[in-house]
Amino acid sequence: MTIGEICGFLGGEVQCTGDPGREITGAIAGDLLSFIMGAAKEGSLWITIQAHLNVAAVAVLKDLPLIIIASGRRAPDDLTERCASENIAVLSVPQSMYEVCAELARRGLNG
Amino acid sequence: MAAPVCLEYRIEGNDFMVAGAASNNIKNTLKMLGISSSVCTRVAIIAYEAEINLVIHGGGGVLKAEITEDRVKLTAEDEGPGIADIEKAMTEGFSTATEYAREMGFGAGMGLPNIKKNSDEFNIESEVGKGTRLYSTVFFNKQ
Ligand SMILES: Nc1ncnc2c1ncn2[C@@H]1O[C@H](COP(=O)(O)OP(=O)(O)O)[C@@H](O)[C@H]1O
Ligand SMILES: [Mg+2]
Repeated sequence: MTIGEICGFLGGEVQCTGDPGREITGAIAGDLLSFIMGAAKEGSLWITIQAHLNVAAVAVLKDLPLIIIASGRRAPDDLTERCASENIAVLSVPQSMYEVCAELARRGLNG
Repeated sequence: MAAPVCLEYRIEGNDFMVAGAASNNIKNTLKMLGISSSVCTRVAIIAYEAEINLVIHGGGGVLKAEITEDRVKLTAEDEGPGIADIEKAMTEGFSTATEYAREMGFGAGMGLPNIKKNSDEFNIESEVGKGTRLYSTVFFNKQ
């Protein structure tokens, strides 16, 4: 499924559009940056409640094209600016990380 | 590749927000040189974790990447507090990061293990009160 489709069914606020047509090939969830650095597979989306500039650094280095910020948190301006310049999509949603994971799994996206 | 490419970055201590810029630069340089994406990712992980450690533990320092025909050699050097027990520091989960750093998602105690795991050659030297020097080499054609 594509970034655009995922943003569509999860709802919330698209803070950065990134590349809506890009296919997402996997998913990872977590708030420990070193864990994501080590474990994320390229092309995956990343669900987190971290919302600061280093989230972009990790997403860029690991080629994660969609960041989903859960539990009603929002990306600050410096984060959205960095993501915009790197063509990374940012979606902030009211749902918890668990709810986002459950919804993605129900729609057939596997980790 | 004719001459070696040497990249050197001064990393400021305690400035969490700029971390990642040097690593990204190193990764992009390797990409431009046509190095495979799996190697670029390994180097990115090593460089980022080393960079973060300079910021949150080392009080700032210097990150270097020396790229030659068949490998990249990374060095992270600081004159910070040093590490008393390297074996302990290398243990997954061990961290002395501050509460604030942990809240931001640092301090998982996985940085040094991640660096070692992704390196073909790895070494760390440290002296309490003097500083820390970390070396990591990744070969381009080894899987
Ligand atoms: N450059 C450094 N200077 C001083 N101490 C360091 C340095 N790098 C690592 N350490 C020590 O080693 C520990 C483990 O490092 P690491 O595996 O990267 O985990 P983390 O950075 O999440 O704490 C750190 O918590 C710190 O005590
Ligand atoms: Mg670390």
